[in-house]
Amino acid sequence: MSLIEIKNLNVNYKTTRGEVHAVRGVNLSVAKGEVLAIVGESGCGKSALLKSVMGLMPANAVVTGQVSAFDRELVSLREKEWQGIRGKQISMLFQDPMTTLNPTMTIGSQIAEALLIHHPKMEKEKVRKRVYELLSLVGIKEPEVRAKQYPYQFSGGMRQRSVLAIAIANEPELLLADEPTTALDVTVQAQILGLLQEIQKKLNMTTILVSHDLRVVSSIADRVAVMYAGKIVEIGTRDEIFGDPKHPYTWGLLRSLPEYSQGKEMLFTIPGMPPDLRQDFVGDAFAPRNRYALQIDYEEEPPLFAVSDTHKAATWLLDERAPRVDFSAMDMVHEVSMEEHEHAPRNHGEDPEKPLVSINHLTKDFELPGKKKMTAVKDVSFSIMPGEIFGLVGESGSGKSTVARCIMNAYTDFEGEIFYDEIPLHDRMARRRERRRLSTERQMIFQDSASSLNGRMKISDIVTEPFRIRHEKPKRGSLKKEAAYQLSYVGMDEGYLNKHPGELSGGQRQRVAIARAVATDPKLLIADEPIAALDVSIQAQIINLFKHLQEEHGFSILFIAHDLAMVRFLCDRVGVMVDGEMVEMGETEEIFANPRHAYTKELLAAIPKIGKERP
Amino acid sequence: MIRYYGGKILIFIVSIFVLSFLVFTVSRMAPGDPLVSYYGDRVEKMTPEEREHAENRLGLRDPILTQYQRFLEKSMQGDFGISYKYKRSATEVVLDRLPYTLVLGGVGFVLIFSLALLLGIVCAVHEDRLLDQIICKVGTVTSCIPEFWVSLMLILIFAVELKLLPSSGAHSLRVDTLSDRLLHLILPMTVVVLGHLWYYAYMIRNKILEEIRRDYVLLAKAKGLSKRKILYRHCVRNMIPSYLSLMAISVPHILGGTYIVETVFSFPGIGTLAYESARFHDYNLLMLLSLLSGMVVILGNMVAQIINERIDPRIQAKEAMHER
Amino acid sequence: MNDRFQMVGILKKKTASEVKSHPWYKEHPVISEVLLGLLILGCLFAKGIMTKDPTYMDLLHYATPPGKEFLFGTDTMGRDIFSMIWYGGRVSLFIGVLSTVITTVLAILVGSISGLASERVDTLIMRFTEILLAIPGLLLIIFIQAILGQANVFSISFVIGITGWMSMAKVIRTEVKQLRDSEYILAARMMGGNFFYVLWHHLAPNFISSIMFMVVMHVRSAIVAESTLSFMGIGLPLEVISWGSMLSLSEKALLSGNWWIIVIPGLFLVGTLVCITQIGNYIRKRGNTTQSVL
Repeated sequence: MSLIEIKNLNVNYKTTRGEVHAVRGVNLSVAKGEVLAIVGESGCGKSALLKSVMGLMPANAVVTGQVSAFDRELVSLREKEWQGIRGKQISMLFQDPMTTLNPTMTIGSQIAEALLIHHPKMEKEKVRKRVYELLSLVGIKEPEVRAKQYPYQFSGGMRQRSVLAIAIANEPELLLADEPTTALDVTVQAQILGLLQEIQKKLNMTTILVSHDLRVVSSIADRVAVMYAGKIVEIGTRDEIFGDPKHPYTWGLLRSLPEYSQGKEMLFTIPGMPPDLRQDFVGDAFAPRNRYALQIDYEEEPPLFAVSDTHKAATWLLDERAPRVDFSAMDMVHEVSMEEHEHAPRNHGEDPEKPLVSINHLTKDFELPGKKKMTAVKDVSFSIMPGEIFGLVGESGSGKSTVARCIMNAYTDFEGEIFYDEIPLHDRMARRRERRRLSTERQMIFQDSASSLNGRMKISDIVTEPFRIRHEKPKRGSLKKEAAYQLSYVGMDEGYLNKHPGELSGGQRQRVAIARAVATDPKLLIADEPIAALDVSIQAQIINLFKHLQEEHGFSILFIAHDLAMVRFLCDRVGVMVDGEMVEMGETEEIFANPRHAYTKELLAAIPKIGKERP
Repeated sequence: MIRYYGGKILIFIVSIFVLSFLVFTVSRMAPGDPLVSYYGDRVEKMTPEEREHAENRLGLRDPILTQYQRFLEKSMQGDFGISYKYKRSATEVVLDRLPYTLVLGGVGFVLIFSLALLLGIVCAVHEDRLLDQIICKVGTVTSCIPEFWVSLMLILIFAVELKLLPSSGAHSLRVDTLSDRLLHLILPMTVVVLGHLWYYAYMIRNKILEEIRRDYVLLAKAKGLSKRKILYRHCVRNMIPSYLSLMAISVPHILGGTYIVETVFSFPGIGTLAYESARFHDYNLLMLLSLLSGMVVILGNMVAQIINERIDPRIQAKEAMHER
Repeated sequence: MNDRFQMVGILKKKTASEVKSHPWYKEHPVISEVLLGLLILGCLFAKGIMTKDPTYMDLLHYATPPGKEFLFGTDTMGRDIFSMIWYGGRVSLFIGVLSTVITTVLAILVGSISGLASERVDTLIMRFTEILLAIPGLLLIIFIQAILGQANVFSISFVIGITGWMSMAKVIRTEVKQLRDSEYILAARMMGGNFFYVLWHHLAPNFISSIMFMVVMHVRSAIVAESTLSFMGIGLPLEVISWGSMLSLSEKALLSGNWWIIVIPGLFLVGTLVCITQIGNYIRKRGNTTQSVL
């Protein structure tokens, strides 16, 4: 018995830059008590899909089709009618709990509000009891105290629990979750997922979960639907999708996970980028990125072919006239567009035994308004050898970014010693003397490419900025040639030279940032969460780029991330940080196979495992 | 708690002193002749000795610091000296005219902020629809017109052409009823309100619109709240603290802005007084007026600060975020 | 039929066409821009448009209503209002622009210093600014002007200029503070860029856009201030023609019913101000693009 059926749902909305076809003819049905996960990358329309089920799209959106649930047709409902349904029969969980909670109301009152809207006559005492009940249900201790607090006094995980409490306050039959764990740390993510599962089972709540994180989906879903460019391209049970994907996109997505490339040279990548939904598609939208595309893919859109009763995929490859394709056999690994470039000699003439960067007892405090002190980094020591990739992992607030900035001298008032190639970075005079070397040989790449590139500068200027600052003549003659060269080096063509960062996608911006960093031929590259904000398929491309560049140039990389699987694939050695301290450090495989510190164990256990069967 | 407010009071007192010193010295150093206000045109005919004598009498020859000291001593006792022009005690002169400005400014203040709130909410609710567009256009035009011109036009239309309302003064000669005073108040009040209304209404409109676009509105909608309830219970409510602090800061602004209106309508408030004392170097009057307005300004600032720091949980939230 | 099922892999397609850009006039406040443009032209070429010498006091024809000879009538001193509008417009606009330049420069200086300085210096400067800000601008101008006495075009611009920088400086300081820690500035510093390089290449282009709106609005308030001052009699003297000084005689005109002396210059004044405001609002709107959910 399906609780909700979606037929031919189309969602369009107008923006200043054109009309976006976010959802193009989606058909879905979800049975009672089932957990359906919708997987897709950013811009594939999954958020729009979810929002339109609840009628939450902004006024400039046009929703057509049928959404049938609770014996009603939801698409044509008017606002007034929705008010009886939202929060009572259907609830929604959002991505960023910091902004979705009203900062000026107490948590308790926000939960109470959810109750009172639908039960306006409930007595105060009863409401209060229920609020405490809900808070305990979602795992918040001391609910009497917590209910009187404001959102800013809660941690990220607690906030998301509160949002969950609001969502289940009236025991809805259907829960929609829009990337509920994306904004959370790994360990917290695991807790919230566990909580979700527990509550879902207890209340027998039908759940539709949207995520771009395959691992999350794998751990919680009964059925999985894969979405690309506004359409469902494959749908089936969890085991079917993860064990036997039939659509090349699904397969590519899974395959690009670092878990499947451990020990290999490069990660598997899907070439190209997710498409812009403003255009009209002819044929299969995935065709331009599909290695296995057939001629007909460019002409006609594939219908959903049935692989089994529960498993369907929209690809012409399943048509009986199509050639037989075995995905696993064809394991093309390297990207087509990366050519060989002349490169600097691998060995910069250093002694491979001597560390490039040495950090001894680094401690950094911050002064907060109100004369309070916060210690971001406590007595951290480690070293980075030339040519090695060192991974620094930890959750938010662990201090890893601070360490990076100390090494780059963004902060100069730290205690302890940092040596870069024997230059004492903690010594001002030495920094002054070696300024030239320090500014060329150390480079940094940030997580948020949008803010690390000046939105008002052209790409060509950004890439050649290091040269212009130092009034140096670039190796390729003119600045323009240099820019073109560097861009092609990171796999982007010349056409981007005159564009601005705002016109590029996240992945492209990150490439530009990398080009800028590599332009000066550095010896140390610090990458601070460089891929966290990118789509899964793009992440693999960027990681491959890093690896490729590192092999050609031989520089050391300090790779800061919280995606442990990526770290495991890329790094030679790893350091784990918690609350400002480095609790464990060693060879990558050692750490992953035999974690010693309790926190490391917890971190590793928190990663949802991708496997053919559910553990 | 006590330390917090005590500190504020201290800052207040210190600021007043600094202000008084500044005004004192600056006004005395400016070009112009204070004797003119006292003696009028006779000054030109005075001989140098007579001038010296006059200046000594008024204590103008002494070094600045001595003069300031004298001023401090006297003002502590409430004696602000004599207005050169009016030849009465400065305090008297001010007290005479203060109530008028207070009424004009005070009532105006209340009207402005209540109407602005209403108007702002109406506009926000009908965002970009016809009503909002009309109000915005009208508001923009009215906010552009210089106050004095509005005053002139109103007088032209209502007083001269239509002969409905009086054109000047606070009350008619020899008449002193409440209704008469009210009649006289209508036109100046209209100008005062019109002059500032749209500025604040637009600000409120935008603040509310900003709130509407925040993520928690989406959650509220998902809970099943009606649009109206979301607007009032969440959006408007959230912007009230900043509105209050805006009001606090605007007090001196509006009270002081009555000056122009007072001039055109010959309304006997302290606005014209301020101008005259500055122009004609009527030092004592000037000092008293500056101190008064200074106190209002600083007080308004402080109240706004207190509201911001104590009442708005969001500011506290931002502080807390710094700790992460 | 079967060749349609041949595997072709990834075909190089043309990159998606550039999103059609809006024609330039779509969102601009065209009417305002055109009107303002005409006005400015008219003032610049005043000498060509004027029908009479605006300074000549034709006492025979004083206070005549608008008619064929004197298109907008004459004022109480017999000067042709039509010519005075164009001639005086230059002065008013000039003062508006000059004072705005002064204000902007001051605001950038104070704002940048405050934004880049240490916490204490910043707080000090900001408190000072805030207190100044609370004083009604016009009053401050009148105050200073009253003390100074006589005025000419430059001194008025100066006075208006030095009293208007506060709110702009606040905005600049906030922007600079944010930019200061932003990552591309960090990146620039790490690449070896020194302070001035960063200031010029990165900071300035970014806060310029946020103050554009305020700059335009300031021109407006400067013109209002000048006209108010002149009206009060403490602005430009009667001999110097500006829209404000034209209006300074209008009080007397009230009682004698010579409406054109008040209404016509006033209309021009208001009209110009409205155009400027519309343009200013358009600039401000360009920043906001999010959609409401309600």
